[in-house]
Amino acid sequence: MAEQRGTVGGPVLTEWFAKPDLHTLDVYESLGGYSALRKVVTTMTAQQVIDEVKISGLRGRGGADFPTAMKWSFVPKDHPGPKYIVVNADESEPGSAKDRYLMENSPHALIEGTAIASYAIGGHEAWVYIRGEYDLPYEMLRDAIAEAHAKGYLGDKPFGTDHALDVRLYRGHGAYICGEETALLESLEGKRAQPRSRPPFPAVKGAWGLPTAVNNVETLSTVPWIIRHGGVEYASRGTEKAKGTRMVTVSGDVQKPGNFEIEIGVTYRDIIEGLAGGMLPGRKLKVFWPGGSSAKVLPASMIDTSTDLDGLKALGTMGGSGGIIVMDDSHCVVKAAARLLRFYAHESCGKCTPCRVGSNWAVRTYHRILANEGSQLELGILERVSDGLQNGRCLCGLGDAAGWVIESTMRHFHDEYEDHCLRHTCNVGKALAHA
Amino acid sequence: MKALSPHLIEEIKALPARYPQPRSAVMPALDLAQEELGYLTPEAMTEVATALQLDAGYVEGVATFYTLFHLEPIGKHRFYMCTNLSCTLRGAEEIVEHLRGAIGVKEAGEVSEDGLFSYEEVECMGACEYAPMCRVDHRYHYDLTNEKVDQLVAEKRHPAFPPARARVAPHPSPARKAATRLGPTDLPSGGGGDAALPKKTRAPRKKKTDG
Repeated sequence: MAEQRGTVGGPVLTEWFAKPDLHTLDVYESLGGYSALRKVVTTMTAQQVIDEVKISGLRGRGGADFPTAMKWSFVPKDHPGPKYIVVNADESEPGSAKDRYLMENSPHALIEGTAIASYAIGGHEAWVYIRGEYDLPYEMLRDAIAEAHAKGYLGDKPFGTDHALDVRLYRGHGAYICGEETALLESLEGKRAQPRSRPPFPAVKGAWGLPTAVNNVETLSTVPWIIRHGGVEYASRGTEKAKGTRMVTVSGDVQKPGNFEIEIGVTYRDIIEGLAGGMLPGRKLKVFWPGGSSAKVLPASMIDTSTDLDGLKALGTMGGSGGIIVMDDSHCVVKAAARLLRFYAHESCGKCTPCRVGSNWAVRTYHRILANEGSQLELGILERVSDGLQNGRCLCGLGDAAGWVIESTMRHFHDEYEDHCLRHTCNVGKALAHA
Repeated sequence: MKALSPHLIEEIKALPARYPQPRSAVMPALDLAQEELGYLTPEAMTEVATALQLDAGYVEGVATFYTLFHLEPIGKHRFYMCTNLSCTLRGAEEIVEHLRGAIGVKEAGEVSEDGLFSYEEVECMGACEYAPMCRVDHRYHYDLTNEKVDQLVAEKRHPAFPPARARVAPHPSPARKAATRLGPTDLPSGGGGDAALPKKTRAPRKKKTDG
């Protein structure tokens, strides 16, 4: 079997990951699992659960960084009829693999957290929308849910109480856009996954037209810990404004790629040079994506940037989904950007014109540049397309993200773009010649 | 003309009741159709539409949106090769080139003469710490090298071939065999078989039953 690459025995999310067979209910429960759900359904009100999570300062870990308790509180309390928690397990941000890591190691933590969230919004049924490629996590969740039902932790009378709770699974079929919450809801309803215009927000009109809170896998997997240890304890970690711990995935040109649980506020140097073992022998860091391919790139000189979410926002980038892609000086930034634009063009759902047309313009432009047919004209086109994709011209963030890739790589590596467009040479050749 | 078997149609007709609204059954139904036929023929999509009381054009519209639905014949073993940035930095493009030679096709989507193989380049599959990686027959394969690709192809070509270090569950699940069938989009029987291997045991991979 492939060895686990990442934190085991970290402070919160990966606390129990060193234990064999953690994915089974027996082991999970022997360590304290399901005590949070038991406590919630037998002793707490929905409002008390929301308050505890509010104290913790937990924010959404899917990329949007929205306060979790606030999201739950937006779901109308007096709504008659079904309300839903929908779990976004459609992790598809390039460079991000942490949700897979969490689900494969501890599926019960996600189920427990999901059930707690359902209780907090006064709902009974939760749906996990899991990407179709995740066969193993799907099977593990399926088995874990069956175990929880057999034990009476899910079902009509969880822990003997009257608040019915169930977690259901729905498989995606390959579309990056499903990671966007309204596109995910469309897909869950059996439609082409195209984002909705807001308002109405999902809290009012979400899955199947009913009040819904959409939460990320990591966010919900954190909730049982917060209930067990208290919101204050969770909030004691991290920075003043960005509390707690989070998962990051480090991939690319590092010695030890993996999924690591970090306390928010450590620097990217701590992660890349510490946890991920540094660069490959003889190579130097050139650039990294701090939070998935959609986060604006940071050059090597900014490796001491903190993972503090607000600090990253101030820099114009984001902690996003935690996918840190590291690239060394043997790779060409223009080629990397071209590859990512191919991704965004392929995954554009086609609904908004700037994204559908702009991303493909960029792909064709990069194609000409890399075929040594570039000129000043191509530089100008990229700048204009990048601007056209951004600033809320599209319904969701996919268009912006595509624009950010172009803009941030051009800003920090304009010389490489000029080499390609004006001199038809590649900077990387030079770097290697000096190596 | 490939069409769906009567018992599958019945199974599809039972799907809508599982969801808050019947339309959600479209993708699980297409999944079942694709598992049976290998890919979605126009007739199959029409039959799915009829069974779910939907417009055939609507069903086709859904099928064409998602990359895991195939509207053209595919090989018995489909290689989904990640070539997104993390995998490309680790040499995915060379791996794909090698795969083409190993399965005897010139381009993505082409089916090998024996009908066994085809491949496509796909976007990030969320296992970036193991780059370069791919997905074949419902399982991920990690840290690909040319040798590993050769071994994987040989294994698929001759099912009795000793196993490559295929990805199995981090831990064995005693509950797995007893697991109830919760969702209509479950893998076909045997699909999860190799996940039940005991930890650290290199027992021969169970072959997935196709269709």
